[in-house]
Amino acid sequence: MRRRRSLVGYVFLLPWLAGFFGLTLGPAMASLYLSFTSYDLIGTPGWIGLDNYVRILTADSKVADSVHVTLLYVAMSVPLKLGFALAIALILNKGIMGLSLYRALFYLPSLLGASVAIATLWRRVFAGDGLVNHVLLQFGIEGPSWVSDPNTALYTLVALSVWQFGSPMIIFLAGLRQLPQDLYEAASIDGATKRQQFWRITLPMLTPVIFFNMVVQTIDAFKAFTPAFIVSGGSGGPINATLFYTLYLYQEAFGYLRMGYAAALAWLLVLAIVAVTAVAFVTQRLWVHYDE
Amino acid sequence: MDRITLNRRHMLGGSLALGALAGTAKAQTATRIRSYWWGAKERADRTNKVAEMYMAAHPGITIAGETLGWGDYWTRMATQAAGRNLPDLIQMDYGYIFDYARRRALLPLDGFVGKELDLSGFTQPSIDGGKVDGKIYGVSLGLNSTALVYDRETFEQFGIEKPEWPMTWDELGTRMAALTKAANRPGYWGMTDNGGSGPAFEVWLAERGKNMYNDEGKFGADAADMADWFGFWARMRDMGACVAPEVQALDKLDIDTNGVSQGKCALTFTNSNQLVGFQSLNKRKLDMAMYPAGASKTKSGQYLKPSQMFSIAATSKVPAETARLLSYYVADIEAGRVLGVERGIPASAPVRAAIEPALDDLGRKGANYIAFISDKVRDLPPPPPRGAGEVLALMVRMNETIGFRKLSVADAAKQFMRECDSIIARG
Repeated sequence: MRRRRSLVGYVFLLPWLAGFFGLTLGPAMASLYLSFTSYDLIGTPGWIGLDNYVRILTADSKVADSVHVTLLYVAMSVPLKLGFALAIALILNKGIMGLSLYRALFYLPSLLGASVAIATLWRRVFAGDGLVNHVLLQFGIEGPSWVSDPNTALYTLVALSVWQFGSPMIIFLAGLRQLPQDLYEAASIDGATKRQQFWRITLPMLTPVIFFNMVVQTIDAFKAFTPAFIVSGGSGGPINATLFYTLYLYQEAFGYLRMGYAAALAWLLVLAIVAVTAVAFVTQRLWVHYDE
Repeated sequence: MDRITLNRRHMLGGSLALGALAGTAKAQTATRIRSYWWGAKERADRTNKVAEMYMAAHPGITIAGETLGWGDYWTRMATQAAGRNLPDLIQMDYGYIFDYARRRALLPLDGFVGKELDLSGFTQPSIDGGKVDGKIYGVSLGLNSTALVYDRETFEQFGIEKPEWPMTWDELGTRMAALTKAANRPGYWGMTDNGGSGPAFEVWLAERGKNMYNDEGKFGADAADMADWFGFWARMRDMGACVAPEVQALDKLDIDTNGVSQGKCALTFTNSNQLVGFQSLNKRKLDMAMYPAGASKTKSGQYLKPSQMFSIAATSKVPAETARLLSYYVADIEAGRVLGVERGIPASAPVRAAIEPALDDLGRKGANYIAFISDKVRDLPPPPPRGAGEVLALMVRMNETIGFRKLSVADAAKQFMRECDSIIARG
């Protein structure tokens, strides 16, 4: 009877299982195999052992460039985005009128942000004669051509990412709502200022939520692709300034048809993300407070 | 209780109906030809019109057209080749035909010539342009060459001497610097910065007596050549003859984002058949001229090439029918009238003769240009090796590196050679 029940369960799971094995696990294993081959799509894959990995780790200067760009992007965009999301959540948590309207408005960029249309818009806003420079000109500042100057191009992508603070903001807001009010009452009776309350109660109590947001956003930032692809026209330029690791991977795969090499790049990205996430989980006991 | 029940008879009837449907679908697709090309809407309209004419004249044949932009075209092409699912009739480029033919993705067409495929109106060189290792794999859809496209009205407005054959590279530079000065408008220059343009470099190098790639597929220039080339463009930037680096960096190597279309400058290095595309985005009257000549003003590094070809997939199940359709596209006069010179000047002499009187202003400019350059150009150079596309991207990047003053011309030339060698060696 019990076995039969579980069988029924599996039958109901079948569509998902078929999708998982056929569309996720199968292709992933194929990609793992391809990463040990030289494969240009038109011919047949030829086994070359670890050659792809050796080249990536020792002989490819573009890998170094793209890793540098990606790490800079992650290191800048994640803290800024989380800080921004938390600040807005704190303001919205004060019980202002029309909260749901604001929440929706602030969330909007997250829905639009990854789209091609917004990336195209971004390219225009930050161009030499774009909106940003028109505004700056009102203050007598002559801005550079942000998207096409190698010194500033990456910052426009960071700004685009920070602008999409909606989803961590919603999660922060939910976290703030759950903080026990009696702590604040006790603190104010003891004479703690608002500032002290924030640093001593809100922030420590919120660390599990911050941790969750940080992990999710970090993984997202490592995987970012569309903005760099659109803003640079797929080139990662000017001078590789926006050559995200994912964009380089795409160029190798679909620009130059080195599918094996691109598969190896992809697997190294997976390993890097796993490693970073593992470090985050190991170090969380140093700063994340779980209410036990 | 009203329940819908399915009995044997229902099932049987249903499957018979389905079977019948499948049967008719099969009858219709028995001679279904898939065609595939890159290009904009104008090309799609003309190509589809010819397909409709062919279908009307040949009942029982269905032609399904698929079209994409240049960038996505080759990605999709490679994916379909991997899936052994290439369309029957494929628009092909000189830079790719060797790769696809040598991997046996394309069908040699020699067996069809004189039967399904009528090439009687073609000259031998225009047939040879589609050969790989002695066999015909592509049939030319039109001839083109490189060309300067410039805004004639702006040149006339400021009284700057227009580009014309023969002038040297430095002479062009001087004129463009004069135009920038005469226009005296922030954000407006003489020409685009083409230090990262592979086709412009190829012409310049040929005028020094070297091929960009030799017969063995080796890169033909050395560090001194590269330093001279990048140095020329560094000088152009310093003179104000071409746009600033942060303006050039917005150019995505297509007509829409080109400096001329964006109102940033008056002249650019491009292909002759693209005059039509540039003019459609520009209110001012455009014209074209040959690229500059070598120092002696006698040699041009330009060459005539098939702007596009049609090939047939090796996996096609209907090769003979596809060859007949191909023949209709390149040799039929009525089809030629519809296609015009949008893909370049038709290679078939009778088609050319039939459409020339009816050409519009732009079409005539294109035809005149090809006629004018025919006795000045060199032979078709050896095909580019694998990795050539990556070298083009490298050239853009090194030109930017100099433009944004991250490296000196000499250092950039050395780094270019290092990276270029490793790209070609890797293939």
